[in-house]
Amino acid sequence: MKTLNIIERIEGEAKLVCTWKENKISDAQIQFLNFRGFEYILNNKPALDALIYTPRICGICGQAHLKATAEALENIYKSINEPLYITDKAKLLREIGLNIEIIDSHIKWFYIFIMPDIAKLSKEQKYLKYEALKGESWRKGTYAASESIKALAVFAGQWPHTSYMIPGGVMSDPTLFDIITMQNYMDQTLHFLEKELIGTDIEKYFSFDSELDLDTLNATLSDFKNLCFENDLHILGKSYNSHITLSDTSLFESGRIEVKNRLLVDLSLIDEKDINTFKINEQKKENEYTWAKTALYNNKPYETGPLSRALISNRKLIKNIHKTYGDSVFTRVMARMDELINLVFITKKLIKQIDLSQESYIPAKIDLKDIESATSISTVEAARGSLLHKVTIENAIIKDYDVITPSVWNLGPGIGDKFGIAQKAIIGADSIEKAHIILRSFDVCSVCTTH
Amino acid sequence: MVDSQDMVKKVFTQKSARIDTNKGEKYYNNLFEKAKQRLSILKKQAPLKDIDMVDVIETEGINRRDFIKWVSATTATLMLPSMFEPLVAQATELMNRVPVVWIELQDCAGNSEALLRSASPTVDDLLFDVISLEFHETLQAAAGHDADRQLEDAVEHFKGQYLLFVEGAIPMANNGMYGTIGASGETFHEHLMRMSKDAAAVVAVGTCATFGGIPAASPNPTGAVGVMDLVKGKPLINIPACPANPANIVGVILHYILTGQVPELDSLLRPKFAFGYRIHDNCERRAHFDAGEFVEEFGDDGAKNNWCLYKVGCKGPMTFNNCSIIRYNEGTNWPVGVGRGCIGCSEPDFWDKYAYQRPMAGANIKAPTGGVEKTVDEFGLGLLTATAVGIGVHAVASAVAGKKSEHNEEE
Repeated sequence: MKTLNIIERIEGEAKLVCTWKENKISDAQIQFLNFRGFEYILNNKPALDALIYTPRICGICGQAHLKATAEALENIYKSINEPLYITDKAKLLREIGLNIEIIDSHIKWFYIFIMPDIAKLSKEQKYLKYEALKGESWRKGTYAASESIKALAVFAGQWPHTSYMIPGGVMSDPTLFDIITMQNYMDQTLHFLEKELIGTDIEKYFSFDSELDLDTLNATLSDFKNLCFENDLHILGKSYNSHITLSDTSLFESGRIEVKNRLLVDLSLIDEKDINTFKINEQKKENEYTWAKTALYNNKPYETGPLSRALISNRKLIKNIHKTYGDSVFTRVMARMDELINLVFITKKLIKQIDLSQESYIPAKIDLKDIESATSISTVEAARGSLLHKVTIENAIIKDYDVITPSVWNLGPGIGDKFGIAQKAIIGADSIEKAHIILRSFDVCSVCTTH
Repeated sequence: MVDSQDMVKKVFTQKSARIDTNKGEKYYNNLFEKAKQRLSILKKQAPLKDIDMVDVIETEGINRRDFIKWVSATTATLMLPSMFEPLVAQATELMNRVPVVWIELQDCAGNSEALLRSASPTVDDLLFDVISLEFHETLQAAAGHDADRQLEDAVEHFKGQYLLFVEGAIPMANNGMYGTIGASGETFHEHLMRMSKDAAAVVAVGTCATFGGIPAASPNPTGAVGVMDLVKGKPLINIPACPANPANIVGVILHYILTGQVPELDSLLRPKFAFGYRIHDNCERRAHFDAGEFVEEFGDDGAKNNWCLYKVGCKGPMTFNNCSIIRYNEGTNWPVGVGRGCIGCSEPDFWDKYAYQRPMAGANIKAPTGGVEKTVDEFGLGLLTATAVGIGVHAVASAVAGKKSEHNEEE
């Protein structure tokens, strides 16, 4: 039997086509049917224009795209042995900006997108507070997200779609007042996490080393855990358990994990395939069913995102949960929430480190126009995982721009008998509601997937 | 032939001549009576949702004073005199009488994201509790086939009454293959036409829905167009910008509740209350422009002293929008506030005409008193082109939307 379901309440829409055998899903196709064509649009545009274009790939992770573009263009200078000098202040403002965007995204995703679905699996009255639009927790989560993002707007001008970064630094020059305002917003966010999400103060949370510790608390995370265990979400949603993270930050380390071994990443082994992908201006072929491409490392599929990042950078609580429950929905969602808590903590520290006396921007000695031809790559950790931009320019004009988003790694179609990451995770589920939740556990963004 | 230098000088120095902010006592008295009647009729209608604003304010513990502050700010945003404040407050309470359907097409969800951050009292109170949001694919409770059904039910049940909000462009190339929706695989074009057929009015939100936006940037690989290229014979309001400012979205809804009609529109179908003047007219860095003090390069002393960003690419002088006043993220800040310069995101084709480096990075302009120099010719031409485009669009975009809006408040 085949069924077709629409997945909404992601960014955009996806179709999930499942094949059922003996009441279990035996094959799953994830289809993304909306396409805009950024890589075609960027062609032959002035290189700096990309700073305005690429953030618009996504209404949620525009900061990540902005940073990727700014750093890809900076790497052009590196590639000709004339590296730009970026001050610590500019670097900090970029990382803080990106962190705040991820914080906002994680809060929203948890309270708006996944918790309402998980709560719906139970008939118990007490979970009504997670209901979309009406539930008290839904509203508190929305409010907390919109307050936290103001910390970014303070020095980035607006959100979504800010473009305050530029090769050589940032355009903004925050004052001490701005820094204090940012701290205040982060304090509020931390307060929300302690009160609503965790149910205790952050120091105590950092002492946790097992999911059993959550049972001592009465807050969203313990509700989440109970709902997961009541509905087998700690068993469901397992994929290949191979993980990749492409870049380093204050919180994350790059690397990959395959069968427990931690290994280095070589960016040249990344390949994007479009065997099952529609082509522009061509009649679609039998096997083509989505606008998403497939990202592979050394010809193998890898998961990217908060779970991969937690495992590669060895964060204790998630590492321990993973030991017992593998890459299940429960582990994956817990990893995203653990990342949220860690990010708020670390971002507060980073804001303190800003030295306002440093320059925001130092101009390049060489004009991009005078660089005949060069290619460069940048990688950035976005909310949903590793983002890669690859650009080729000739005299400051873009000749080729390739974007591989995290959701291409996780949600792209499988090739031949090799399933894609989310595809494999869904296979084996015994109800469509659970299949939805498994798919959602990857934080689906249809506009990023297809761009 | 108009001397383009003189013309540009005029454009740069004129006051906000594009909108008449004071229409006189008689006009406002008339409008006041009309709005009062409209609200009393609405009040008699059964609410679509059993929650109203008063309850929300009480249960959420929102400070009454904050709410009054919000009302007076919104009244000002709508360019109405303060005598309208009680009516605006009432209209807020009657939001649950107007059904809203929000569809997403070729978009990045940025406008929905911005809407989640609307001005306080927070949008979840305003829009989600009070407004009858019958369908919004990202925010609603239903999912999958339930959501599909909910949309069909809303459109059927509220025939002729609902406001249709559209986010995203419509890809027309190759029979619409670049965007399909729902289980049936309906194209975005078919979907838009079906959803707008029985709408009371259509509101295009964001630059993609209004002018085709980023998908329509050259070479426009998917043949993207805006809503006004397709929907005819229906009141149509454009709220461009990338993202559209949520204050303007809420403003349009309130205006509709208050008057039952679309607000006064410009030639590009943008509400004049929001797009009646250039951001340059009210820019906090304007004094530096007039004094001839410019940032020459990011990071220089001018940048540190918040001087005018015109020479590093600010498009404020040719961009019609109210963001210099209402700002973003509940008034937290706006691009010019952090030294980034305006990119003209509420103007048609800004991707191709106004993008980052062009044409002003090399512009050599001094304060008007010091004369306007060479490269100004280039954008003098740009301005003329923009005007011509505006006139063309006005002629095409159905007389209904344009004329009705011009009449509605003047009778």
